[in-house]
Amino acid sequence: MTAITTVRPPASALGRVLNVVKLHVTNPWNTIAVPWMIMGIILLANLAIWGIILSAAAPADRVSIREGLAYSGGSTFIFVYMMVVAIQAISVTFPFALGFGVTRRDYYLGTALAFTGLAAMFSIGLTILAAIEDATGGWGLGGRLFTTAYFGENWIQRLFIYFAAFLFFFTIGMAAASIWVRWKANGIIAFFIGLGIVVIGGAALLTYTNSWGGFGNFFATAGLVGSFAWSLVIAAIAGISGFFVLRKATPKN
Amino acid sequence: MDESRPIFAQLAEQIENDIIIGVMAEETQVPSINEFAAFYRINPATALKGVTMLVDEGALYKKRGIGMFVATGAQARLTTKRRDNFSAEFVAPLLTEAAKLGITPEQLAEMIRKADTA
Amino acid sequence: MTNIIEVSGLTKRFSGVTAVDDATFSVGENKIYGLLGRNGAGKTTLMQLLTGQDFATKGEISVFGQSPVENASVLQHISFIKESQRYPEDFRAKHVFRSAPWFFSNWDADFAEQLIADFRLPLNRRIKKMSRGQVSAIGVIVGLASRAPLTFFDEPYLGLDAVARQTFYDRLLADYAEHPRTVVLSTHLIDEVSNLLEHVLVIDEGRIIIDEDAETLRGSATTVVGTRPAVDAFVGAREVLHRDAIGGLASVTITGLSAQERKDATAAGLELAPVSLQQLIVRRTNTSEKEFEAIA
Repeated sequence: MTAITTVRPPASALGRVLNVVKLHVTNPWNTIAVPWMIMGIILLANLAIWGIILSAAAPADRVSIREGLAYSGGSTFIFVYMMVVAIQAISVTFPFALGFGVTRRDYYLGTALAFTGLAAMFSIGLTILAAIEDATGGWGLGGRLFTTAYFGENWIQRLFIYFAAFLFFFTIGMAAASIWVRWKANGIIAFFIGLGIVVIGGAALLTYTNSWGGFGNFFATAGLVGSFAWSLVIAAIAGISGFFVLRKATPKN
Repeated sequence: MDESRPIFAQLAEQIENDIIIGVMAEETQVPSINEFAAFYRINPATALKGVTMLVDEGALYKKRGIGMFVATGAQARLTTKRRDNFSAEFVAPLLTEAAKLGITPEQLAEMIRKADTA
Repeated sequence: MTNIIEVSGLTKRFSGVTAVDDATFSVGENKIYGLLGRNGAGKTTLMQLLTGQDFATKGEISVFGQSPVENASVLQHISFIKESQRYPEDFRAKHVFRSAPWFFSNWDADFAEQLIADFRLPLNRRIKKMSRGQVSAIGVIVGLASRAPLTFFDEPYLGLDAVARQTFYDRLLADYAEHPRTVVLSTHLIDEVSNLLEHVLVIDEGRIIIDEDAETLRGSATTVVGTRPAVDAFVGAREVLHRDAIGGLASVTITGLSAQERKDATAAGLELAPVSLQQLIVRRTNTSEKEFEAIA
């Protein structure tokens, strides 16, 4: 190897991965600020709606309304939103990072690490909001946004479920973004057609073999936390597949 | 710099001119390679080639660690060299063009005398 | 002299198109190379292969003695500035200059600052709101201030006006003189850059058709103008790059004239006109001159 002189020594293997992590939060607007702002708007909107419903309802009906709020889906939006953030972030930072001499391997590892960090940060944030929601009796209105039934029963379960859900959507986003970066629109179309076939085929299989009961039992047996734990397997598969897709991708215009 | 000839030769010629008319006096330092490159907007390797040509001819010499200087006697030597080439470079084409237009060498000489007094 | 890049038999095929066709060449250390050719000749693909951004169909690439593909120890020393470089949507120019030093160990922040002032780049404007020229200026600044041992500029100045382009050439030359490094400059504005180059690679339809010292190339071709019989007699069996005729006059571009032959031509009443590097390449690639004209 030809001797190369540099002013400072080049970054180490870990340093290179961490540089990619930093790249994702160089401008924290899209990855950190906007998601929290959206979460805040959802919370405010829900507070307004709860206020209107409760003030309009007869006192006798209020109990059943509160039960209904246990299944509010307002906060699930944030997870899907983070999947979009992941897709967007990769499609623009991948060609940018390669222009800066980053390898695809370092890029993917750094990106995965960055998203894991974001998942942890958002999970902790949501868990804190859930605790506040608990302590204030649902923001004083009996509303439930962060403590809805499918987020678990206590803060440990919630932290885990939030984290697993974020990882799930981030890794699906990473896999989809890798397909986009490598094969563009055709790849994405093929991906969703393939996904559709798998889902419909799976459903058909369950129907013909009369296994829907067993399928339901699986979740019942696994429980809420167990089911989310299983989603980590899918997340791992998506994350690893994304890596192999991206390794052969070429930044195109 | 024109496109017809190698740029290093044009640079060498330019420096020769400066020595002949005394802009670069003997035993004074000339600009560095990088300064020549920046001034004429040419590649430093090209500038080096032009300067090296003058060093080989003895018009410039290197002082180790200081830079490049105009050699003593360079002005006279370069002037002689240019004079030797003057006929071939300037007079011959002039005569060719004059012949094309039917101007005799005598008429040409007369024109030169007039232009000089004008 | 050491070679930074060694390429042999390099071929890149996309579905049905051969973008790079059996290219063999090397790039010497600390020289400024011109990678010249018309649009679509394969310049960008070649640079993408050399920087590990694309994968070769066939052939060998060695950069700093190793394959560049997924090789951090090679890629860390390369800066590749593309005409079409994309920046993250929400980035402002300052975000680019904040992150660049993490990736380029030779990054000179003072130099970058001076260049930002030279190009009057608004640091706080969102990149997607910038003019084409301002976006190009970001790339040019990154390419210069990164001082990577191997720097590629792929048509880096789309939308930059003549003054800004001259600024780029001047800064490149001055900084290169202070900090020698290997630079590969791809462009179709050949006349503008020809004096900066030490070596010229011309690519046409994926093939390297010229690999020559710039000084050797300069003045290697001459256009001979005169009456048709006189020109034909002088040209004889020489290789003709280009021929034009109007009425009884002919204008023929040929290569390799000795000083004596020049005298003979003048004596025969022929006129000799110099051929610029750009004209030479236009002749050799059978391109209309328009394609190499300024875009700004």
